[in-house]
Amino acid sequence: MLNTADFYHVWRIDQSSNALKEEIKEHCHTDIEMCLECGKCSGGCSNAHIFDITPRKIIQLIKMGEEAKLLRMDALWSCVACQLCVDRCPSSINIPRIMDYLREKSYNQSIPASRPNVELFHELMLGHIKRFGRVPEALLSVEFNLRSKQYTKDAQMGMKMFFKGKLNPIPARVKDIKKVRRMFRNMPMQREG
Amino acid sequence: MKVAYYPGCSLHGLAKEYGISVELVCKHLGINLNEIEDWNCCGATAAHSLNHELTISLSARNLAIARDMKMDKILAPCAGCFSRLKGASYELRNNKALAAEVAEIIQTQAPVEPEVNNLLQFIMEEPGLLDAIKSKVVKPLKGLKLAAYYGCLLTRPKEVVQFDDPELPVSMDLILKALGADTVAWGHKAECCGGGYAASDTDIVLDLSGQVLESAQKAGADAIVVACPMCGVNLDTRQEAVGALKGKKYDMPIVYLTQLMGIAFGFYPVQLGMKRHLNSPFPVLQSRGLA
Repeated sequence: MLNTADFYHVWRIDQSSNALKEEIKEHCHTDIEMCLECGKCSGGCSNAHIFDITPRKIIQLIKMGEEAKLLRMDALWSCVACQLCVDRCPSSINIPRIMDYLREKSYNQSIPASRPNVELFHELMLGHIKRFGRVPEALLSVEFNLRSKQYTKDAQMGMKMFFKGKLNPIPARVKDIKKVRRMFRNMPMQREG
Repeated sequence: MKVAYYPGCSLHGLAKEYGISVELVCKHLGINLNEIEDWNCCGATAAHSLNHELTISLSARNLAIARDMKMDKILAPCAGCFSRLKGASYELRNNKALAAEVAEIIQTQAPVEPEVNNLLQFIMEEPGLLDAIKSKVVKPLKGLKLAAYYGCLLTRPKEVVQFDDPELPVSMDLILKALGADTVAWGHKAECCGGGYAASDTDIVLDLSGQVLESAQKAGADAIVVACPMCGVNLDTRQEAVGALKGKKYDMPIVYLTQLMGIAFGFYPVQLGMKRHLNSPFPVLQSRGLA
């Protein structure tokens, strides 16, 4: 006998919390109460087939105030920000912005990312921007390999690209780097390039 | 029309051939590109993923410099940079509280101008430019069947970009036809290649770029034409790995729109950086008498 509980996880509405919904309205300038529940966001989503929670469900979980679940979902770290969801939404709910907001919140609370390498790559890249103002792609990829312990990842391809003149060994720098560093004052970074 | 030029990190690195060809064809068309002085990185996926204020500030500084250079328009050929700059300018216009915060961070009034254009929009909306391109064609791309690939960010989100159709765009097809080429009808024009996950989660790229490659091949394209360094790099560098996953071989040339414009204008492929691709476009070009 198949048990429906194996297939459907029942979510109950937590009536106690409207906080997340209100917070999103304030910071993302988008009102999820406008959601028509049509599912076009999930239908269009580039990565719905690998998301643990698809966009339509994400909106529902926000309504339910299920913050703990949302801040830990894998979708935060596998969304490609392709903007299909927002463009298909009849109510123009800005889901990509909501994803950024939730990821930022999760990151600021030091909740471990479900894909640590994605988070690591972002941090290393931002570290380079803070240091040089621009991204030295060759340096970043070598550093990412070392820090993520994938020592031979893309090594062969990297050599080919180097000989095709696609990798600059010397980083370009912004002269007025102080201006760029000022922007990082509210940015908590655990690891830097 | 004074045009500011924002090359971004990739046009000086991974997509050098895009930068070289943009500069060459613009010069040939008499468009003077004024590089934004001392520009900084747009922050790309990393910044918007982790800190909203940071991503807007990074772009705001670049916009402010272009404004102070008294430019009318910014040309950002990289779709990623374009999206960050255009998105920041949209947000600064509509979110006054954030604009005030950002002004304090970048120590100058947060700019909403000059207008930011990607390459396609620039060609289509600059008065007379498409006709000028047509008139400069000396070597029509006859017999080339091309898949015009737009990816996500050249046309989306529609409310911000306000150009072409977000999912069935036509502008690049029109430009390629003006060069004398044919374009194929295919289903992955504006699907995502996996973008910023190139290094950090390559499986996502193999999956999404694999679908794009497969679709272009099935449509019978000789090459995929791109106007974005991430699309270009992902599709060019991952063909071997995608092939290994699917048990087949891909050798689809991935070329930048401006490289083909250069060919049609009579430049040599080498001048346009066409030796820099991992999947060489030379066999296809030679078979059509274009190289």
